[in-house]
Amino acid sequence: MKQRRSFIRQPDRIASYFKSEVPVLIIVTISGLIYNIGMVAGPYFEGRLAQCLYDIFHHRAIWRDMVTLALCYVAVIGGVQAMRAVKRFSVRRFANNVSRNMRHCLYNSLVHPDADTLKDESLGSLLTKAIADVDACTEGMRKFTTELFDTGVVMIAYIVMLARYDWRLTILACLFTPLAYFAADRLKARVTAANAAYKQSESALNGVTMDRIDHAVTYRLYGREADRNAAAEDALSDYEKKSARANLYEGATTPLYDAVAMIGAVMILYFGARNVAGTGWIAWNIAAFTTFLACFTKLAVKASHAAKLFNSVQKASVSWKRIQPLMREAVNDDWTVMDRPVVPVSLTFDDVACGYREPNFLHHISFAAHPGEIVGITGEISSGKSLLGKILIGEVPYTGTITVGAKNFAEMDQKERLETFTYMGHEPELLSTTFRDNITLGSAVDAENFLRRTAMDQDLSAMHRTPDSPVGAGGAMLSGGQQARLALARTLAHARAIVILDDPFAAVDPKTEVQIFKDFRTHGKNQTLLLISHRLAHFPECDHVLYLHDGTGTFLTHTAMLEAEPGYRSLYLKQTLEGDRHEN
Amino acid sequence: MKTETNPLLRRTLGGVVRAHKGLTFGVCAAIAASVATALIPPLVLERVVNRLAARQAIPFALALLYFACVVIADLCESLQNAAITIFGQKMTHGIRSALFAKLSRLPADYFHTHQSGVTASIFTNDGDAIDILYSDGVVSMIADSFKLIAILAVIFTRSKGLGLIVLAVTPLLFLFTRWCQRRTGAAQLDNRRAIAKVNNHVPETLKCLRMIRLFHAERHMEDTYDGYIQESYDAVDRANLIDSIYSPVILTVQAAVVAFMMIFAARGRAASAFFGISVGSAVAMIAYVGQIFSPLENIGMEIQNIQAAAAAVHHISEFLAEPEWAPALTPPAAEAITAFDHLTFGYDPAQPVLKDLSFTVRPGERVTFVGRTGAGKSTVFRLLTGLYTPQAGRVWLGGQCPAGIAPEARRSLYGCVSQHFDLVPGTVRDQITLFDPSCGDDAVIRALHLAGLDDTVAGLPDGLDTPMGPGLFSKGQLQLLAIARALAADPKILLLDEITAGLDAETEARVLQAIQASAKGRTVLSISHRLSRAVGKTRIIEIGADDSDLN
Repeated sequence: MKQRRSFIRQPDRIASYFKSEVPVLIIVTISGLIYNIGMVAGPYFEGRLAQCLYDIFHHRAIWRDMVTLALCYVAVIGGVQAMRAVKRFSVRRFANNVSRNMRHCLYNSLVHPDADTLKDESLGSLLTKAIADVDACTEGMRKFTTELFDTGVVMIAYIVMLARYDWRLTILACLFTPLAYFAADRLKARVTAANAAYKQSESALNGVTMDRIDHAVTYRLYGREADRNAAAEDALSDYEKKSARANLYEGATTPLYDAVAMIGAVMILYFGARNVAGTGWIAWNIAAFTTFLACFTKLAVKASHAAKLFNSVQKASVSWKRIQPLMREAVNDDWTVMDRPVVPVSLTFDDVACGYREPNFLHHISFAAHPGEIVGITGEISSGKSLLGKILIGEVPYTGTITVGAKNFAEMDQKERLETFTYMGHEPELLSTTFRDNITLGSAVDAENFLRRTAMDQDLSAMHRTPDSPVGAGGAMLSGGQQARLALARTLAHARAIVILDDPFAAVDPKTEVQIFKDFRTHGKNQTLLLISHRLAHFPECDHVLYLHDGTGTFLTHTAMLEAEPGYRSLYLKQTLEGDRHEN
Repeated sequence: MKTETNPLLRRTLGGVVRAHKGLTFGVCAAIAASVATALIPPLVLERVVNRLAARQAIPFALALLYFACVVIADLCESLQNAAITIFGQKMTHGIRSALFAKLSRLPADYFHTHQSGVTASIFTNDGDAIDILYSDGVVSMIADSFKLIAILAVIFTRSKGLGLIVLAVTPLLFLFTRWCQRRTGAAQLDNRRAIAKVNNHVPETLKCLRMIRLFHAERHMEDTYDGYIQESYDAVDRANLIDSIYSPVILTVQAAVVAFMMIFAARGRAASAFFGISVGSAVAMIAYVGQIFSPLENIGMEIQNIQAAAAAVHHISEFLAEPEWAPALTPPAAEAITAFDHLTFGYDPAQPVLKDLSFTVRPGERVTFVGRTGAGKSTVFRLLTGLYTPQAGRVWLGGQCPAGIAPEARRSLYGCVSQHFDLVPGTVRDQITLFDPSCGDDAVIRALHLAGLDDTVAGLPDGLDTPMGPGLFSKGQLQLLAIARALAADPKILLLDEITAGLDAETEARVLQAIQASAKGRTVLSISHRLSRAVGKTRIIEIGADDSDLN
């Protein structure tokens, strides 16, 4: 088994993700500081190189000076760039880690849903959330971390260096940078709005796409494909428009920034030249002039990156706002039902009433089932058979007393209930993985055994498949009956002390049904089985029958029930006659 | 990979260029302007420094000119990027339209054998990658290549020696770039594969939530998800390593080139014919060398984007190359019979499910198909509705060849109800009309009435316009809704596939009642052990009776 992931605490706060990555962030900080402070080496050496050339032309230096200087330049740049490589990789590692953590967390809250968290989300929107938003979010966090150093630290380093050359000119040149920020800030609201519209359109397009693919066969059956393609085309056009708009707004920020910030360059050219000419505030040589100008240009570019920082943080916050409600404290249930031994228990209903929303549909239900027994539950039309099973999985309210072994059902917690009950409902709910995975669900049970017990092994060899073959999307490669039997195999593989099967034979043919019923008898010694069904072929073999009618139930053996309940008798006789006709 | 990506790219590129001549011209003009204006600022700078070296003052106008040139260059670059973005969007749009159109031409088998999440990721993730391929890939690369050539030309006019050094280093850097891309490309492909699995896992979890809870399989589902995420993580990590060292290597080489140039420029007379430059030119050349490596670095990134998109293009090409649905049609039958004539069919032709099967159903007849599970009862319906065609023999539905029925004629010929209702996103009305505007309210209400669902729908907050949600209808009511959907266009034939399976008796009774009401005047073919009561006397056709070895 893989090592368990550790979950982020307080996952609904961005800071938590930074906190969890402290070691990586320390490496980012160290290499980032060295790299970014080292960044000033570029303009510094380039100015010195130009100056050296000037000096050689004027015979104030010799060729050797240039060689030394040039080699120094390459060595320093090489070292700084090496730090940059370390920083780049660490930042990306950080983003990759955060992305993984967020996806873990998102999936954890998806798989442990609140009753109503997921109901109002359409599938397409949720998909965008889970995938695109996490990506945008981590991208924003990565850029934020990157720019914190590449913009923040480096800007300070540049400004310090500029001030050392000429502090008055530095102030004069940098005066325009805040103005650039102000201008970008004006654009920010529009960038945000355009981005939100873009995201929304993207989500709509994804919804349409999923719809078109998910229901392709239905649309084909009803000849609606052309129309659905037209709807997709509309969504595409809208998406194209919104996406271009969002891109344009984002792209407009940078030149605006540069233009305003570069006004400073005019000051440098004019006043800097006066410095070199000896008529300015400070005496400069050419190295000072070129270094200062190169440094300032890089500073201006960095300032425009700060706009990118705003944009990416903006984008990230739009995405973050959408996933934040799904980011809940992780449920880390590190226990498995399968590790616990199956302790045979009896099940007793004593004067139980229940109903779909309030316990007002069935009344005075009393029966007892013991290990090794099969209790068949059936009833007239609208008798509410499924209700009894659903009480035991906590989906239906009830009054009265249900006793499980020595315990009161009402006092059992979720864990105890899962350890006691196994339930199979109408929907097969298969995963798109293999036959084996669908049966084991990751536990160590012997899948082949359960394939055999549900007669699936014959189907497998007929289809030339193995237990490790895929079953298709949600079991799409299987027929309805095969899906039901695979779901049954899964149920049997995980059978606890009390097994509830709600209509397991609905899509199963009578011959297979006989085989499966025989299997219950052979292997179900430890189990108490509640068989809810409206097909009564096997009810004579049940130990007891609970027959629901007129809002209550009668609990007898099959033979006694035939005598006592004319309704049951007619139901049974009608079906056996019909069954006979089909069998022949 | 090149050989198979090119046709797709060329086709869409050609299409977009033809359809948007103005935009194409705009993109070209913006690129030209951007290349030209990017060259000017260092030339102005050269003049400035040369004047300084000669101890001359800088006129304010020259300073302003420098500023103006920088701003114009910036503006042109933004203009270029905007034009490229719009162009890229047009390309993506074209490809996605082609993908949607392809869906209509795929055989139904494709949808039964492919996970919808994986197919959807071709549309969404791979579609986005195509967008990047154009906006930050192909077109930008063309622009950057021009920039590279233009700068190289300017360098040659100032210093042949430097020009030759740059010319010598560029191919080496390209080889390095290619090496990086090969490694990154493989990693990107792995990542896309993993992401496709991740994408499929989420909706599947939603569909199976109850099972997951009751079997306490949350942890298993998380472990499966983690496995997919880890695959993606490892692939991204490999790509990141290359990405991190690429740019620093380029910039170090850039420094080396500058150092080399300066050493030779300072060598004096012997080298001056070759490297001889003024101080101003040296400063301008340093700026150009900085500029020449930035398009080169961009080209590297763009090739990487193209590489990343290559995986996407591969997926898309593969998808577009999927065998299309081209059924062999049979001539219509003499009368409106629904029949198999010595029909043999298998999903895998080597494993026939139905062997030499013949039956004839006349208009107005009621027929029930029986047989063990897996015998091919549902397959009979898939053949009757033309989703599949037989390998041998002939099939008719209402006298017509099913695969040849025109889309608009389908609903009035047959209605089809299966075990599970396929809920489409939209309102309650949309469930019945399937967005068909020709299916008016009268038809919808009549269908709902026949299905016995009119009261239920009338009780909804917005009636037919109520948005459909998972909890709005019970499972049985969804089956009734499916019946209404099938009846909406008053079809002559009803196909009912195990429509009461998994229903409790109460709901089953309602469904049977609805069938009873709607069967009047129609041919009814059903797969069910219990439908005979509702539709009256039925004929039994047994499927797969001779397959005794399986039982």
